[in-house]
Amino acid sequence: MGEIVEPFEFKQCISILKSTGKRAKKLRELRDVIATVSDECIFHHTCQYFLKGHILEYTSDFAHWAGESLEEKALAEQLSNIDPYDFKNIGDLRKELLGVIDDYLKRFPEPREAMPGDEFFFNETVTLIFPIGIRARNLAEFLTAIKYVDSGSIYYHFYEARIRLGGGIDDFSRWIEDAFDKKELAERIKAIDPFMHNTEGIREHVVEAIEEEVRKDMEVI
Amino acid sequence: MALNQYSGISPKGDLLLLQMLSAKLYNRSFLHINSTRAGGGVAEILQRMIPIIVELGINARWEVIEGDSRFFDITKKIHNALQGRLEKITDDMWQYHYEVNRRNVERLNLEADAVLIHDPQPAPLIEFRKDGRWIWRCHIDLSNPQQEVSDYLCRYGEKYDAAIFSVAKFARAMAIDEFIIPPSIDPISEKNRELTDEEINETLNKFQIPTDRPVILQVSRFDRFKDPIGVIKAYRMVKKYNDCILILAGSPATDDPEGEIVLNEVREDAANDPDIYILLLPPFSDRDINALQRIATVVLQKSLKEGFGLTVSEAMWKGKPVMGGAVGGIPLQIVHGVTGFLIHSVEGAAFRIRQFLNNPEMLKKMGEHAREYVRKNFLITRQIRDYLSVWYAIENKGKGILEL
Repeated sequence: MGEIVEPFEFKQCISILKSTGKRAKKLRELRDVIATVSDECIFHHTCQYFLKGHILEYTSDFAHWAGESLEEKALAEQLSNIDPYDFKNIGDLRKELLGVIDDYLKRFPEPREAMPGDEFFFNETVTLIFPIGIRARNLAEFLTAIKYVDSGSIYYHFYEARIRLGGGIDDFSRWIEDAFDKKELAERIKAIDPFMHNTEGIREHVVEAIEEEVRKDMEVI
Repeated sequence: MALNQYSGISPKGDLLLLQMLSAKLYNRSFLHINSTRAGGGVAEILQRMIPIIVELGINARWEVIEGDSRFFDITKKIHNALQGRLEKITDDMWQYHYEVNRRNVERLNLEADAVLIHDPQPAPLIEFRKDGRWIWRCHIDLSNPQQEVSDYLCRYGEKYDAAIFSVAKFARAMAIDEFIIPPSIDPISEKNRELTDEEINETLNKFQIPTDRPVILQVSRFDRFKDPIGVIKAYRMVKKYNDCILILAGSPATDDPEGEIVLNEVREDAANDPDIYILLLPPFSDRDINALQRIATVVLQKSLKEGFGLTVSEAMWKGKPVMGGAVGGIPLQIVHGVTGFLIHSVEGAAFRIRQFLNNPEMLKKMGEHAREYVRKNFLITRQIRDYLSVWYAIENKGKGILEL
């Protein structure tokens, strides 16, 4: 008899957008609002960028706005290079964002303004988290489940978990390590760059890794 | 159960969350009030939405305020002013706006656990609230309003527990919670449901539309803000390289004197080009619009000013990438280069049409992305989910994360 494994309970999160009523039409205004808005607002425009389901050239709303609306491509690249999951808390992330913008403003003190209607609108969210009624007790079940769940569930377990658990850990790799002691597989999932994929890309990579492992476990010779 | 009709169409998570939220709000009352039972996007969505909410076990009701022509003249002016047109709203007019609402209170039952007031016409009803959570739902583009008018209205707005806007840039700095909830389309309505080949052919025959060449389509009122003349110009640029036909389909604007003028201009401009089809569709032409969107090769929404522009989502739902003006709610629906293209000029429209006509693979792929994007973001189940979430969030005020 194998050990009883704690099942993986799939959850999902859905966010409802809330306006802060604040907006910026130039870089200095963006900087000043970033300095004072709520942590939830910074979290939304950076970490929750990945909830959008499509990643274009940028990795945060701030970078996107700098690139597309201000057409300050170098700044957009620098902001895109900030990994929001790399910080212990939102305060540190905020400092980094401000540092990059301040440096840029020192070099280019008068960047252009956004066109009317194309200002940056600061939002935050109310997030609802709920179990989706799917539990996996082994890797084969997990594999079936992860192919089936909505992308909001992948976001919750792979992206949101990093903030919840800290240290760049996601729910999938933690469960795999805790329940099965499969360190190599856990490492492989942990190593998937959250920054370079959208949720569907993450799903593909996780499926690939688990599929390989399940096949390996099945093969007797 | 009504929700069953959406399974396999709407995202699973949305349907599940709807069930969970309705269990939390079971048997409670949810009152919607607007100013018209028929006509316009708000009435259209309420007609579809209320029965679904009732099926979920929530006592949803829909009431309509009554007013005379003076009242609606005033509210039309308020509406125009909020969209940036210069209008003078006198104290007398504001007083009459309030007075008509007060009179309506005598015949309306305002008791409910949650009350959603749609648009400015019934906004003063907040003065007569009894209990429950009151939410003001503004469907209008408030991004560039006449300040004085919007300030006056916000005096009512700030007495609500929360406000809801369709797009973040429509929100204002108010002292209450402001949620952003885009509108939606109903995938099983006559305008959006799957059609049989027979039904599609019926429309093609009715309007004598050939199918031997690619079809460029714009569905919109004949209104300068929809730039029909610009669409014809773009078509002519494309026509030099690719044989195609253009369909401009819209309802005759009987209540808008300018509509007639624009229509005549369009007819004149189209001259005798046999490949331009100007279709005047009577009200309730939903199935014909559905069929036209399905036979179109590419769809344009070349608006110069737009509220939300749900025709974009309608076409995207049929797997068509849309080229749309970067105004109003259109950039929310078109992810440039992924679900369609945002265009800024006639030349841009022509160029993108040619790109699509010459790249069937890209057309197909973007069309698939477009449909999926609508599935995730612009279906009616998502909008109901959001309304119930806002109600639930207000009851748990202050919490950014809610575990169900």
